[in-house]
Amino acid sequence: MNERIKGLYKTQILAHSKNPFQEGELEGATHVLQAYNSMCGDKYTLYLKIENDRVEDAYFKGYGCAISKASSSILTKKSIGKSMEELDALVRLFLKIVSAKEEVSPEDLTDEEELLAFSAAREFPEREICATMSWKVVQEELLKE
Amino acid sequence: MVHLNVNKVRKDFPMLATATPQGKSLAYLDNAASTQKPRAVLEAIEGLYTGYYSNVGRGSYWPATRASQAFEYARERLAGFIHAASAKEVVFTAGATDGINKVMQSFLRPKLQPGDNVVISEQEHHANLIPWQQACRAVGAELRVVRLLSTGDLDQEHYDSLLDDRTALVALTAVSNTLGVVNPVKEMVTAAHQHGIRVLIDAAQHVGHSPTDVQAWDADFVVFSGHKMYGPTGIGVLYGKAELLRETPPMAFGGGAIRDVGFQETLFADIPHKHEPGTPNLEGAVGLAAAIEYLQGLGMRQIHEHTEHLTQYAVMRIEGQEGASILGNPKLRAPVVSFTVEGAHPHDIAGFLAEEGIAIRAGHHCTQPLMDQLGVPGTARVSFGMYNVKEEIDLLMDVLKEVHAFFA
Ligand SMILES: Cc1ncc(COP(=O)(O)O)c(C=O)c1O
Repeated sequence: MNERIKGLYKTQILAHSKNPFQEGELEGATHVLQAYNSMCGDKYTLYLKIENDRVEDAYFKGYGCAISKASSSILTKKSIGKSMEELDALVRLFLKIVSAKEEVSPEDLTDEEELLAFSAAREFPEREICATMSWKVVQEELLKE
Repeated sequence: MVHLNVNKVRKDFPMLATATPQGKSLAYLDNAASTQKPRAVLEAIEGLYTGYYSNVGRGSYWPATRASQAFEYARERLAGFIHAASAKEVVFTAGATDGINKVMQSFLRPKLQPGDNVVISEQEHHANLIPWQQACRAVGAELRVVRLLSTGDLDQEHYDSLLDDRTALVALTAVSNTLGVVNPVKEMVTAAHQHGIRVLIDAAQHVGHSPTDVQAWDADFVVFSGHKMYGPTGIGVLYGKAELLRETPPMAFGGGAIRDVGFQETLFADIPHKHEPGTPNLEGAVGLAAAIEYLQGLGMRQIHEHTEHLTQYAVMRIEGQEGASILGNPKLRAPVVSFTVEGAHPHDIAGFLAEEGIAIRAGHHCTQPLMDQLGVPGTARVSFGMYNVKEEIDLLMDVLKEVHAFFA
């Protein structure tokens, strides 16, 4: 059948959605954020422990499609150990990789495969929100604080 | 009985000839969300704007007289369609949601006391839940919720046990938009009436699919939306028994709904106009009347029979698909089937189907508390209309098979 849609679900995405990293609640989280997509009902809670301007630990819990789950998994995994400045740069990079409006090709933006796996979202603008819902809440509620 | 000629019907719906940006023909299986419009509806609206448009109930010149006639004619068609005793019992609204809110504000709120209760069911759409919930919270009344049996049918014993002399209103859906359950409306209305309790029926999922008889139901209020019965968006109906519409204060205030106005007081018009202030949605009414004429021309029983066969076929096929499970197994099912596929989130299922031009709904279907009860965050839902065909279900199943293989 249609290979285009299968292309959206890269190996890394399927792997992360089936066996997510960092899934669960985090005791001692300093920041708890809610990501919600009212259109489909997907919902995640993000738990971050931030000390001395650095993400010490991060977890997520919730329910959503393979794309949103994998993206939350990768977000929490990659944010651990980052300073707020580095996290901000990572979020901006990710949002560019998935944005259909971005002119620079994903490969010219990064060579990190786990992030590049989401670049097919550019061809599925209706699924961009799945890829970005958790990232955007970090940007809007944590980084703009 | 003559059967529905579905191939002929399909030609009447321009949207069915469209294709996705990838060139796949549209298989529209989301009719519980909204239905496509037959050309007759579009032509009626164009006919209004090109042939006799003006405001309604105001001018005594041509074309105002003709426009007013068309509006009242639409009301009569609607009354006939739902078997109301009189066209005066048909109030035009913006849709089912609007009708429910109006009954909540004007009928329920003024009499709702602390310690009273309102009875709804676990099947309710948010539209038939939140207005009652908010009214109860504001007053200190209790919202009582009828439980489901494991089949999805309402637990009638539980329902009976919730009704008492403090029940201010029962508000129930005729058909669950998520599980497809058809409720025994008449019996449930009778049970409430034995306690002297008034009943509102949310018929949004009923009117476009099965013959509807509000007098046989003996319902006190009935609401529905035009867009779910092949008519335009932005128009709906609140049916109310004449005596109730008369005793209910105006559901909104403004021009056209009055008999006499002074700066300090107003004498309101008789029903239904008392409840319809402001310039009405003439386009919606004219379009909806055309939709009804189209439906009646084909026959509601024929339409019902056709979608019932499709639904039985879909249930059989989905049950036969490895990894797929249908939610609910009701005694009577409307053309709505909710299901899950093992390993695949409903949104992923819908994404794969959309790629093949198949439009279905995924998510909580505006019934989030019901999803919580069923212990699922969402489902995939197919819902059929008069123009759907078996081949579309076969196509659906081909993709579901691939979805299962891909995500399993
Ligand atoms: C059972 C039920 N009630 C009410 C509504 C609300 O209808 P509308 O959005 O047209 O007001 C819907 C629409 O999905 C429905 O399915």
